Amino acid sequence: MRLNTNKSLLQGTKTERGQNRKNLLFWCLAIFISLSFLILLLSGAGPKSKPKVYIQKLKNGHYSLMVEGKPYIVKGVCYNPIPIGQGYDYDWWQDPYKPWLVDGKLMQEMGVNTVRIYQPSDNPEAVKRVIRDLYELYGIRTILGHWLGLWEYPCPFYADKDFQERIKKEVLQMVNYYKDEPGLLLWILGNENNYSCLGQVRPWSSDEIDKESDPHTQRFMRLKIYYSFVNELAKEIKRIDQYHPVALGNGELVGLEVASQFCPDIDLIACIIYRGKSFGNLFNSLKTIFDKPILLSEFGADSYDAYLKKEEQNMQAFFLESQWRQIWQNIAGQKTGTGNCIGGTIFEWSDEWWKHNEFDSKGWSIHDTESGWSNSSYYFDIKAKDNRNMNEEWFGIVALSQDEKEAGAGLDKRILRKAYYVIREFWRNPYKNLKIKNKKAK
Amino acid sequence: MKKGLGIWLVLLLLIPTLILAQEEKPKEFVVYRDKNSRQNHYIPSGWMGDYGDIKLNDQFMDNPQSGSTCLQFTYTAQRAQGQGWAGVYWQNPANNWGTKKGGFDLTGMNKLTFWARGAKGGEKIQKFFVGGIKGTYPDSVNVEIGPIELTDVWKQYTINLAEKDLSYVSGGFGWVTTADLNPEGCTFYLDEIKFEFDPKMKPEAKKPEAMPFYVYSDRGSINNHYIPSGWMGDYGDIKYDGASKEDPYLGDSCIKITYTGNATQGAGWAGIYWQNPANNWGTVDAGFDLSKATKLTFWARGAKGKERIEEFKVGGIMGEYSDSDSASIGPVILNKEWTKYEIDLRGKDMSYIIGGFCWATNIAVNPDLPVVFYLDEIKYE
Repeated sequence: MRLNTNKSLLQGTKTERGQNRKNLLFWCLAIFISLSFLILLLSGAGPKSKPKVYIQKLKNGHYSLMVEGKPYIVKGVCYNPIPIGQGYDYDWWQDPYKPWLVDGKLMQEMGVNTVRIYQPSDNPEAVKRVIRDLYELYGIRTILGHWLGLWEYPCPFYADKDFQERIKKEVLQMVNYYKDEPGLLLWILGNENNYSCLGQVRPWSSDEIDKESDPHTQRFMRLKIYYSFVNELAKEIKRIDQYHPVALGNGELVGLEVASQFCPDIDLIACIIYRGKSFGNLFNSLKTIFDKPILLSEFGADSYDAYLKKEEQNMQAFFLESQWRQIWQNIAGQKTGTGNCIGGTIFEWSDEWWKHNEFDSKGWSIHDTESGWSNSSYYFDIKAKDNRNMNEEWFGIVALSQDEKEAGAGLDKRILRKAYYVIREFWRNPYKNLKIKNKKAK
Repeated sequence: MKKGLGIWLVLLLLIPTLILAQEEKPKEFVVYRDKNSRQNHYIPSGWMGDYGDIKLNDQFMDNPQSGSTCLQFTYTAQRAQGQGWAGVYWQNPANNWGTKKGGFDLTGMNKLTFWARGAKGGEKIQKFFVGGIKGTYPDSVNVEIGPIELTDVWKQYTINLAEKDLSYVSGGFGWVTTADLNPEGCTFYLDEIKFEFDPKMKPEAKKPEAMPFYVYSDRGSINNHYIPSGWMGDYGDIKYDGASKEDPYLGDSCIKITYTGNATQGAGWAGIYWQNPANNWGTVDAGFDLSKATKLTFWARGAKGKERIEEFKVGGIMGEYSDSDSASIGPVILNKEWTKYEIDLRGKDMSYIIGGFCWATNIAVNPDLPVVFYLDEIKYE
């Protein structure tokens, strides 16, 4: 009987058995969900446990940019698609022909995964549309920057608190607008603003600095003020956006010994470097001065030979290929490099015809061939008159046609330069290309 | 059968001839052997700098190294053309400064050797060189050695040309020296100058230079390296005296620089690079390996005090052959008294330095013109 009773208790009626099964299923499901959540929490893969984009320092001291858990090498271009005949203030974000759609496709075919934009426009909806189109249609991520008032008239008053507050407000507004865009990669604060501290471009000062008689100390004071301000911005950004790294834009490595003291909260350095075929000791020097990862955020070569006075695509392709080889040699995991480079953004995607004289609107429709400055690292045409060999309007790896338009659109036709193809080939198999080059060198 | 035998016999005769022809490939190419030697090539026609200070006897018969004659050069250091230096290029054809086609294809040679001695010993030659002529028809090579202090007995010197491009050489050989190195002038002798092939010759690997390594010690010092040849900006505003006696910090001389600030070239600034070799803006594969250096030190003073030099720098020359790194200090306000300055080189890659030292300043920061300042004891340590 007892046995029977027990049996009956164990087996129950048909209805009871069905109920038991439901209970069992419920508890199994509950345990499964709880365990899954616990595992996710412990493994750190939860949506809020780690930023989506972050810098990882490896055991060997190398740095990797991580995007959604995977190493990401920035294969990028600086992007400012001003059409022929338009000036620097043209709002291309609202261009009815949507140049980013044509360009994005060409970029995707080349292997570009990132565009760098110096500063978004004042229309957040237009900016979001561009970021989304590039990401959703072509898988291209966007780096957004801010000039930090470098071009403000008469100069950027970095020592002035009101100026700082105004810039901070602009920067944080930008972050708030775009931080949730899935296509956003990281932020860059400033470009070559450090040169303003040396009086080389947009010089500024303050009463306190002017009282100091030693120019070396004056320089230090300006750098300290500027980099402290950038550090404050970086901290503020991180309060509202933990998902994207913050870079310090810097011309060369100038002033970074001061930045290392007063700007520790930035995640990486975005360097502007024009050193011809070789970056020299750049990667090692940065490691010594300020141990942060580096993004080559502006580098490249123009495609106009100022000596022979003709377009010279081979020259541009030669320099760019050499530069990319060195970038790759210094990516994390390479045996011989410094391992602190996370990639680069070539200056630039397409030619800008307004650049030679930004105030002469007639010149915006002319592809100027007069050189603007001299750089002996680009030695093929250094024998040009007064050694002026750099042609600002010819840096695009894509030329614009004055005569033809893109099919079905009113855009200036894109003409791919040799550098486009050479870099595309390099990116397709960089490690193999490095090996071939090294063998040839031996 | 007979035809086959004929071919066989022809081959038998030809093969040794071909082998002999290969063996007879010339192993030397003479620049100077003896006066009137039919083997001589190139003409010592390119007299440079203070050419009025040079005398040449090309059939000096007293104690030649070999044969019956040698070359006797007398350099008076009188600064006849106001240059402070002089030299001679052996050219082909004579007086060819790259303006016409000439030269020889010396592919297959890998060194140039010559014998030299001084009349007394101690004569200082800034450099001996091969190639380096520019112009429309430039030499394919530019290699130099020096400075060299001669002895009073014959000694053979070698310029290593292994793996150099010798396909077009119109400036076969040359020498240059300065009045600073030889204030009283000098007499020296050269003999048996020739290109050779030496199977044991290996390409010259750059070795790290021993420290201290001087850019400037004293006016006549053989320890000086680099030439203050890279005059920049308003170069017409600069006066350079590398043998100033005005209160040197150490030794018998220092460098005196006067910058007038007249903006002669319209730049508003000026400066000088010390280069290796002279006028090398990254166009020539040269320079020194200064990997052992951890700093560059120098002494400086202003004539009045308060002169402002925007930058003192090492390295930073960019070109086809770029300096491996750069480092600088500045701006610097000079004192009236000698003051020691230091450029920190720790963490820098100094393995390839063409631009050994540099200064630059401008009008805007120097209201009190001219700027006169002095430099001494510039050295890597």
